[in-house]
Amino acid sequence: MAQSGDPPRLRQYVAARARLVGSGLVVGLVLGGLGTAGWTLYTGDVRSSEATVFALGALVFGFGLLGWSGSILAGRGIEAMQEHMGTRSNWTERDSRRAMARLCGGGGGIMVGTSVVAALL
Amino acid sequence: MNWTQFLFRLAEPVVPPRFVIKRLLLLIPVLFGVASVVFAILHLAPGDPAVIIAGQRASAEQLEQIRVELGLRRPLWEQYLTFLWDAARFDFGQSYSISRGNSVRSVISDRLPITLELAIYGQAAGILLGLPLGIISAVKQDSLTDHVTRIGALTGISVPIFWSGPLLILLFSTYLDVFPTSGRIASTLFLPDTWTLFGRELPLTGMITVDTILLGNTEAFLSAAHHLFLPAVVIGVYSTALISRMMRSSMLEVIRQDYIRTARAKGQGAKITLMKHGFRNALIPVVTVIGIQFGTLLGGAVLTETVFGINGMGLTIVTAIGVSDYPVVQGTVLTFALLFTLVNLFVDVTYSYLDPRIQQ
Repeated sequence: MAQSGDPPRLRQYVAARARLVGSGLVVGLVLGGLGTAGWTLYTGDVRSSEATVFALGALVFGFGLLGWSGSILAGRGIEAMQEHMGTRSNWTERDSRRAMARLCGGGGGIMVGTSVVAALL
Repeated sequence: MNWTQFLFRLAEPVVPPRFVIKRLLLLIPVLFGVASVVFAILHLAPGDPAVIIAGQRASAEQLEQIRVELGLRRPLWEQYLTFLWDAARFDFGQSYSISRGNSVRSVISDRLPITLELAIYGQAAGILLGLPLGIISAVKQDSLTDHVTRIGALTGISVPIFWSGPLLILLFSTYLDVFPTSGRIASTLFLPDTWTLFGRELPLTGMITVDTILLGNTEAFLSAAHHLFLPAVVIGVYSTALISRMMRSSMLEVIRQDYIRTARAKGQGAKITLMKHGFRNALIPVVTVIGIQFGTLLGGAVLTETVFGINGMGLTIVTAIGVSDYPVVQGTVLTFALLFTLVNLFVDVTYSYLDPRIQQ
């Protein structure tokens, strides 16, 4: 039972997920920014650097999103299949979902970081 | 049960709407993810759309003007958001080269029925042959029939389409001259664009066997079926093999269950027990395979259409990649993804109907 001092369940729910995506987003922001700056220093062309790093970020974001929704759609089935086949793998739907959410945040971060740095350069 | 109870029973949803809505909502991130991956791959791929449109001899000013018109000079985030918005409205602009000047939507609407028809016939062949073969194989375990079916299934799974297609063309078209090598209908036959129902002119479906039936043209229908037979067999072989194998193993597991033994002990006939209690339960894992299989069929359609020269989505995507027609590639890939996810949604719903525990 929730105590009176406990934060509301919705806030807890959102905070846990925001932390998960946010940690990926921060890493992505740094990677995207540094990637664009470094690539621009190497090639001397902001436009092509932005295009390349942003596209890589979109790729990571897309794969993360596909993996996240795939985990929700088929994760329980895969867990059941593993149990049925006795493969004893440590893979779980929850872990996969969390990892993919982080990846999604990372991809989004790269895209934002790239756009910000490209606008500044 | 009286009539009122019967009607109420009919009105009850087979699967709870909440389950279907949740699955439908999950389609959004899937398609959003696919769109992002497509955007990324096309921006990472070499080639300049402006050069593809204007040609190698175009001046720098012309190329720059095209880039501005296409929005390629805008910031990447803006291009990305515009792309997602256009994708959500299924608007991919105009084809650069394979159907220059026409919208990608019209290219897809022309060619999608062709691929769907091929995939449906392939899937139908797989289900109609695979299920009975799997059941027979399980019931007659370790008999000659079982061995032949298993070897056939193993061969069907192992043989790739790009090999079986040309081989069947070589055998049935070149040597035996029984089936045509390519095309969808005899070149001497022409179909109108519309058909008439109660005096009203309606557009045709684009699926040639359906259209010939709607037009009541028996000669054209036979020609279409004749042309479609080999590609459908090629695409259906893998499906048949996989479904029969899954059905066999699932059926073998089910017929050893206590409830089957109980039904038999209570005096129920072997065939009724098998079909009433065994078949439905054995079908659950097979339905999942059929859904996933549809994706393979769409992938198979790319190869089959290329081998048999059928101008559907598969051949379109291959040609579009070859000539860097990015809008067509984007549109066709997203259409394939949408189809695949919709089929899997249908499979999920069927699955939860067969085993209501899934809905929990």
